[in-house]
Amino acid sequence: MSGSVSLAVGLGLILAWGAVKLPWEIRMTREQRLATMGLAGPTAVAVREKLGQGLVLAALGGFRGLAANALMLEAHGAWEQQQWVRVRSALEMATLLQPRVALFWDLASWHLAWNAAVAAEQYGGETSETRRRLEARKWVEAGRVLLERGTKAVPEKAILFQRLGDLYWQRLADYQAAAESYRVALTKRDAPAYLERFVGYALDKAGDTRGALEYFQKLRRSMGDPPDPARRPEVVEKEISRLKKKLAAAPGDQRP
Amino acid sequence: MRESVRRIWAVAGNTFLEAVRQKVFAVLLIFALVLLGGANYFAEFSFQEQFKFLKDLGYATISLTGLLVGLLGAAQLIPAEIERRTILTALCRPLRRWEFVVGKYLGLVSLLGLMLGIMGAVFWAVLRWKEAQLIGLEGGEAGVVQAIQAESRDPRLWQAFILIAAKLFVVCGIAVFFSTLATSTTFVVAMTLMVYLIGHLQSVAREQWLESGEKAGWWIQLFLASVALLVPDFNLYSLIDEIVAGNAVSWKSTLEVVAYSSAYVGVLLAAAAWLFEGRDL
Repeated sequence: MSGSVSLAVGLGLILAWGAVKLPWEIRMTREQRLATMGLAGPTAVAVREKLGQGLVLAALGGFRGLAANALMLEAHGAWEQQQWVRVRSALEMATLLQPRVALFWDLASWHLAWNAAVAAEQYGGETSETRRRLEARKWVEAGRVLLERGTKAVPEKAILFQRLGDLYWQRLADYQAAAESYRVALTKRDAPAYLERFVGYALDKAGDTRGALEYFQKLRRSMGDPPDPARRPEVVEKEISRLKKKLAAAPGDQRP
Repeated sequence: MRESVRRIWAVAGNTFLEAVRQKVFAVLLIFALVLLGGANYFAEFSFQEQFKFLKDLGYATISLTGLLVGLLGAAQLIPAEIERRTILTALCRPLRRWEFVVGKYLGLVSLLGLMLGIMGAVFWAVLRWKEAQLIGLEGGEAGVVQAIQAESRDPRLWQAFILIAAKLFVVCGIAVFFSTLATSTTFVVAMTLMVYLIGHLQSVAREQWLESGEKAGWWIQLFLASVALLVPDFNLYSLIDEIVAGNAVSWKSTLEVVAYSSAYVGVLLAAAAWLFEGRDL
């Protein structure tokens, strides 16, 4: 058999295999996206359009993790130098490259909503306190938006919902929203046991004393008898008695 | 059949021994040093970050070292034998050409398997060492120790390791395919590397091809279709990133990717054997 004929047959074999493998690849890609994104997930084309050329090049060699880590290190360096715009850009790129790494979203939102916001609040170059507060609020908002996106990218883990609750509580003083985030976090399998009390604390902080009391009472009932000591029933009982006293001291429905 | 297996085994054993005698183990030493250095470089971060960085670094180093060994090893296989004329001595014996190709491939993947085994053991040792170091630093609180051990002893790391091996075996298959066509080692290395890189964007080309409809010109469609049909989808192996991120990846998905890789290698070897049969030596 001549060389050109065998080359044609060899290539034909690979092409025929290509036709067989194509539906297989499409199915596996769809299943992997379903399993990892919880929905159909963005197509490769959508990801490519979002990432732009530079990051696609980084992903080219299959070393996306290393590229994302390099960006996190860059963000860390920029944080040490208090260069917040660089911090934000590096963090956003890292989360784009590896959106399924909860740790990245967590770190990124912490840098923006806490570190950058506090730095803006204390910035000596701005004399107007109002402007400083407005600037700080923008950073907190950036951190919140990032965390919201993170909860959509890693919806199966409790950590980002918990962090969102912390952000609402500590940075935005929106305790109802915090309680709601903690509630969602509790629906995840890896939610820490102590988090179940946080919903009640947040409701109480929001001024919904009756709602908090009802929550803690329901929580105590859910612990059964004898309760699991790991769920700290004594803390819940203490809260119930404290909230009862609070309600007795202040007549009228304590709902916001 | 038994004779064929014996001959393939002989070629594979010979290829393996020849490759082992080269200075590949120096590369392993560099790998171990990179890992150990990397393990300490990120000491200022939280333990979760340190493990994430360490695992990424470990898997990237294993992938890169394996890729280099596979590429250079495969490039040396057939073109070098032709250049040295030693292939004529081998093929004048009762040895079929396809047996020669399959034997060469198996010899190469045996070497790669050995290197992956050693690198995997070094990686495991570095993870355990890091675990002991972090437990010492963070204190012996049960919850913290448990969290650190969950990171360093994560059984899913096996899945990532299997996926890396499967990916590298496909790359070796591609390199063997090109080595049956080529006369120079540079051609084999360049072509294999190109397919490797394009393979990471194959899913983009495939989806663009399938989604573009009438919008794209026929030459663009042809190009995208060629990439989708001829190049493997290396994005399927990005489950490794999921594992490093600590997310659950089912064994079913892992084994399906392994089955895909095995089928790919089979087709590549069949095509390579076919091409080699028709080649003038």
